[in-house]
Amino acid sequence: MSKELEKAGLPVALVSAMYPVAEQVRANRIVKGVSIPHPCGDPSLPQDLDARLRREIVQTALKALEAEVTGPTVFTPNMAVSG
Amino acid sequence: MTTIVHVVNQFFAGLGGEEKAGISVGVIESTAGAARGLQSQLGPDFKVACTIYYGDNYFHEHSEEAINAILEAVRSHDAQALVAGPAFNSGRYGMSCIEICHAVATALNIPCVTAMHEENPAIGTYRDIADARVFCLPTTETATGMTDALKALAKFVSKLTRGEAIGPALQEGYFGRGIRRLERTDRTGADRAIDMLLKKINHEPFTTEIPMEEWDDIKPAPPLDDLKARNIAVITTSGVVPWGNPDRFKTYRNTHWRKYNIAELKALEPGKWEAVHGGYNVAYMNKNPHYGVPLDALRSLEADGVIGAGKLYPAYYVIPGNQGSPAVMRRVGQEIAADLKKDNVEGVLFVAT
Repeated sequence: MSKELEKAGLPVALVSAMYPVAEQVRANRIVKGVSIPHPCGDPSLPQDLDARLRREIVQTALKALEAEVTGPTVFTPNMAVSG
Repeated sequence: MTTIVHVVNQFFAGLGGEEKAGISVGVIESTAGAARGLQSQLGPDFKVACTIYYGDNYFHEHSEEAINAILEAVRSHDAQALVAGPAFNSGRYGMSCIEICHAVATALNIPCVTAMHEENPAIGTYRDIADARVFCLPTTETATGMTDALKALAKFVSKLTRGEAIGPALQEGYFGRGIRRLERTDRTGADRAIDMLLKKINHEPFTTEIPMEEWDDIKPAPPLDDLKARNIAVITTSGVVPWGNPDRFKTYRNTHWRKYNIAELKALEPGKWEAVHGGYNVAYMNKNPHYGVPLDALRSLEADGVIGAGKLYPAYYVIPGNQGSPAVMRRVGQEIAADLKKDNVEGVLFVAT
């Protein structure tokens, strides 16, 4: 799906916990998600830290959209924001 | 007596489904689940010494620990070969099978064989790794083909452990890895090439000696400049939909997509949304839909001016991704792309589970 969007000229930041698979299927802008059942955040964290982590992941994705890439590239959110 | 070990996920070890996908590596000192079937296909000259299992999520989240634990178990049983799977069309499971086979073949120098459907994304990794001691056999898409898959695995592993030479992929039936071997022939390359060319000109069938790898690389779309001036949309395959699933998505193999309005919303309230997806444990997503559609974070970034005011597209797009066939997903991708372009969306945040 994400490749069809890129073909149409839309940059896609793909947040996925299975980033090796994303690389394998040749997605171009890949953002490391936390886990398969909860890519954007971590339910084991207190609510405020979980929200902060989610914001960091989304912000990393936005930065990925601004990044010039030549092929599959993995962007890693700074997990330390959640303390 | 030849000793084999069988590695399976928690489901095929008979331990449970998604609710058990987080369990760590364990060893059952007998045949359990799919390993029982493998033992019966192998017959009395083989012993499946143990069943090694792991949770589907655990493996991907702790792959180093998982692989070390599996290596230890295989080593301690002094196995002559390893069987992993079959994984059918499960991406998570397929990927772990390939990684385990490669790690065991490398560290312990024994042949490893697994099996899965041709559209399993792990096939790409298998070809990339191209480990001469790792073989992957084709299966059906779903576990309905379990008996045939175990039969094929048993046959192949017995051939491997007898030390018989394994011929080319096309002849033996495993997926080709792109490994080339020298072969003797009494006709020169020029002769054979001319033969092929003449057949081609005459529209007769011929078989190439060097099949070309098909790489479906997409040139990356250009990056966004001045992000806050750009229209951004969210797409998810997590299956987050309004509570009650009004458009009747299935938990697997969906063929349609929908978009749901979020224009007036600051956040997705738990209880008003649910995740419809058969490929992962949806409990977290149901408790907090932001794990699939991070609207709270997007609104907070909008408030801080990282995303321009009113630049977040007023709806998000969804199709539960579980077991979506590549052909359907391509079409869905094209349809959503057309819809986004029509509304001048310029960049996409895509959350995949």
